[in-house]
Amino acid sequence: MDNNKILEMKALHFSYTEGDEILKGLDFVIDERSTAIIGQNGAGKTTFVKLLKGLLRPTSGSIHFEGNDIANMTVAQLAKHIGMVFQNPNDQIFKNRVIDEVMFGPLKIGMAESVAKQKADEALELVGLKDLAEKNPYDLGLSSRKLVAIASIIAMDTKVIIFDEPTIAQDYHGKELIKSVIRKLRFEGKTVITIIHDMDFVADTFERAIVFAKGNILLDGTTRDVFAKEDILKEAYLEQPNVTKLCQSLGYDEVFLTTEEFITYQKAKAK
Amino acid sequence: MKSISLYEEKGSILNKLAPESKILYIILALVLPAIVGSKMVSVVFIAISIGLLLFSKVLKKTIPILGVSGFVLLTVVIIQGLFRAGNVTPLLTLGPVIFYKEGLLFAFNIVVNVLNILLSFCVLILATKPSDMIENFVRKGFSPRFGYVFISVFQIIPQMTETMATITDAQRSRGMETEGNLLVRIKAFLPLISPVVMSSLINTKERALALEVRGFNAKNKKTFLNDEKKSSADKYIQITMILLLIAGIVWRVVGCLK
Repeated sequence: MDNNKILEMKALHFSYTEGDEILKGLDFVIDERSTAIIGQNGAGKTTFVKLLKGLLRPTSGSIHFEGNDIANMTVAQLAKHIGMVFQNPNDQIFKNRVIDEVMFGPLKIGMAESVAKQKADEALELVGLKDLAEKNPYDLGLSSRKLVAIASIIAMDTKVIIFDEPTIAQDYHGKELIKSVIRKLRFEGKTVITIIHDMDFVADTFERAIVFAKGNILLDGTTRDVFAKEDILKEAYLEQPNVTKLCQSLGYDEVFLTTEEFITYQKAKAK
Repeated sequence: MKSISLYEEKGSILNKLAPESKILYIILALVLPAIVGSKMVSVVFIAISIGLLLFSKVLKKTIPILGVSGFVLLTVVIIQGLFRAGNVTPLLTLGPVIFYKEGLLFAFNIVVNVLNILLSFCVLILATKPSDMIENFVRKGFSPRFGYVFISVFQIIPQMTETMATITDAQRSRGMETEGNLLVRIKAFLPLISPVVMSSLINTKERALALEVRGFNAKNKKTFLNDEKKSSADKYIQITMILLLIAGIVWRVVGCLK
């Protein structure tokens, strides 16, 4: 299953204004592993995912989804295959009931009403909002609204799901919930991509990390390999996850990504 | 964020002058020709405006402004030149088309007036930051509330344009068509406009809170974050312009008495 070419970028260039390139020739493949794209603000992360969604078109080079050039697909056609949760849920919510909001996307991409209802119910169940299905989204708090937005994209049942900063405005419970959602989607065979600044969350949740810096890819590998490279991360103005940093300062040679990992290691050593 | 203001900081002399000096210049450029009663004065002011704009490196930005009005002016020249009542003296013959002197003179007057108005306003608009201008008004006693309203227009409109673009992206990402025939566009209206209205309302509330927290309605004398925009030359420029205006009036009155 792994290492399938879900999305393939070929010499991808993009600039808003001529002479000021945002993306400077990206060549890489996104497979089924859950992938976190990290990097400083202005590194080109958001521009890149907008290109994936067809909201922007490359100035040169191409993006292939399962072998087909997305240049031949409209944004609406792409929406059936690639879903994206925007940073601010207020940018999309317009229905008076949570369930209607979540069903909007599925209906738009041509699902039958009954199927859409079923998918919407499942998605709401997944994010733990099933009981609030009849509420007005604007009566919910920001963190719940964000979950509504996440559910509304999950319900579209796309092969690829992109999360733009999913952990903003989420407390511990919310973060844990989103973690489990991402793991579940991955288990169902979906490709999850995220743009994120929360390194601890990346270390805990994602299999692969790609570091963007000034329109190029600086690092690309498993989360463990990427977070081991302190020097290069610094160059991209990124921090290691707290546990990784701590253990490195304490002189451990191994790279730890989560507290659980470190505790298990210590316990095994003590025995 | 894209600005809707035409102003651009170039560090030029016009940028450094107080907004009042530039406003006084507009008044002078518009009133003096009327007082003196000669189109030549307008032409002189047009030349001065062009010179000032050129010197401040913003003449290029007047081209789109002049382009739009230039088209209208061209039609004025053609219509008046050909058909104005009282046209008797042929001046120019292009095949069957005859331009008359009277009509062209009349059109010339209009063109000079319009150009004078446009260019003198450009001297102000292209070289003055709107918030500097409003702040100086507030310093001179203009209500800070209205001052805020005027300044916020320059902030809120670009912000709303940006929100609108994000919302369009978000809804298109959910498979909604926003381009196409009228029906498609009408259908797209509600999903696009509702989040805009909702987020504007939320923003407005937060803006009001933020302002109140910083004492917007406090009765005390207000201080200003920015230094007053003025240079040492401003006083002399303003005095010179007022003297010119008085001289024009005196010259005209004396002319009438003779």
